[in-house]
Amino acid sequence: MIPDLELENLEVVYHHVATAIQGVSLRVPPGAIVALLGTNGAGKTTTLRAISGFLGADDAQIVGGRVLFQGATVTGRPPHELARRGLVLVPERDKVFETLTVQENLRALVPGARVDHDAPRPPVTLEQVFHYFPALAGRRRQLAGYLSGGERQMLALATALLCRPRVLLVDELSLGLAPRVIESLMALVARLRDELGLAVLLVEQNAGAALAVASYGYVMEHGRIVYDGTVERLLAHEDVREFYLGMGRRAGRRSYTEVKQYQRRRRWF
Amino acid sequence: MARPALMLLAALLGVTATVTPALAQYRIGMSAAIAAVLVTITLGILLRAAIVLVYTDRIRHPLPLLGLANPPRRLPGGAVVSTFDLLTVAVAATLFVGLFAFLRLSPLGIQMRAAGEKPLLAAQRGINFQLLFALSWALAGFAGALAGILYANNVRLDPSLGVLGLKAFAVALVGGLDSLGGVIPGALIVAAVEVLSVRYGDPLLADVSPFLCLLAMLPVRPWGLFGTREELERV
Repeated sequence: MIPDLELENLEVVYHHVATAIQGVSLRVPPGAIVALLGTNGAGKTTTLRAISGFLGADDAQIVGGRVLFQGATVTGRPPHELARRGLVLVPERDKVFETLTVQENLRALVPGARVDHDAPRPPVTLEQVFHYFPALAGRRRQLAGYLSGGERQMLALATALLCRPRVLLVDELSLGLAPRVIESLMALVARLRDELGLAVLLVEQNAGAALAVASYGYVMEHGRIVYDGTVERLLAHEDVREFYLGMGRRAGRRSYTEVKQYQRRRRWF
Repeated sequence: MARPALMLLAALLGVTATVTPALAQYRIGMSAAIAAVLVTITLGILLRAAIVLVYTDRIRHPLPLLGLANPPRRLPGGAVVSTFDLLTVAVAATLFVGLFAFLRLSPLGIQMRAAGEKPLLAAQRGINFQLLFALSWALAGFAGALAGILYANNVRLDPSLGVLGLKAFAVALVGGLDSLGGVIPGALIVAAVEVLSVRYGDPLLADVSPFLCLLAMLPVRPWGLFGTREELERV
């Protein structure tokens, strides 16, 4: 089966000199939720930007590798074209238009073609969006700048859905949100996958939340994929448990030497 | 030069003045709004020089050339204004209402406002923001051309008319740069100050009064009467 999204040895360089990600390869099969885990600065957001065509704004370039969307090479295509093809990003920050009302935010988009060349895409309507996000229905006329963090995240997901995505790229869904809100948003992402048949690439630091809904995961460190496998395999891996989930035998209080060794160990993950 | 040739040249200059910044904006994209401003100013200087070279800097009155008259009209209150004054007000009101409806209600207008706020996010929502930026330049060019035609027919036509734009800029700043609704009170205030300073002060004050309004406004509310505070960072 052709994966909906595939990266082949992607390499991104900032300002012509600083390599941000190197040899990154991953696959997102149709209808799957795939998690991309990693700490700050691991290159997760750069990977997403490289896929969704944002790099021109950051003085970054894809210097190697390919991005394949439903079998076609889309490396370096402009973001609006990718969005219309069905590769839609929910960014980490700046995810809603703050000077527009909720209703206007939901209209400030150009949806992709209703039907793809092979697979029909789910046409998402406003009613459906308010059905998934009832909290937004009561705030239609409010400026998006006055929404809470959780409501902004909902609005961002709602607008992304109206773009009729095939693959949803979600950057740090859990950022700055309370655990209960994160749980309900993750459950919602799983529901959207089930009901609309979306494939989702979930980029997260909150490994626990991401692995609860994902079926496959990649771990990224220093711009490379260092480990990947099914969620069961990741959850069984000692280092993932220790560094990403805070579990395992070395959890608890540690001496200074232990922390030093800990960091050294992690570098060679 | 024959009249048709001159008219063709004028049309060509007008199209250049609108299309070049639009294209420049399309190429520059979101990277530098300030670059677009500089392009506009540079182009303004170049076009003015070209106009002086071709037409000389003589003051002209296009109405008789067009065979039109501009008779005075008496308003119900007793005030007397020229026909083109009335026409200018009517055209400005129509343009304003049209623009307001376009930006608030039409999908394209909402996309344009979204692209103005966050071009990157707009692109991620499938909006070709470079095209919309170019379109907004074209709209601005159209509005400017309309204002120029009306003013030239009502008052005079000479190459230094571009300075009028500075007055309009003062109006926009007084009303608030990001507030479409603020333009009307801004314009009324600036116009009232101008008329009153002519009536009770020196007629020469007319040209500087918009900037006096601006000077009075900037220390108190630098973001304008109806502007948003954060907008200052973008200016």
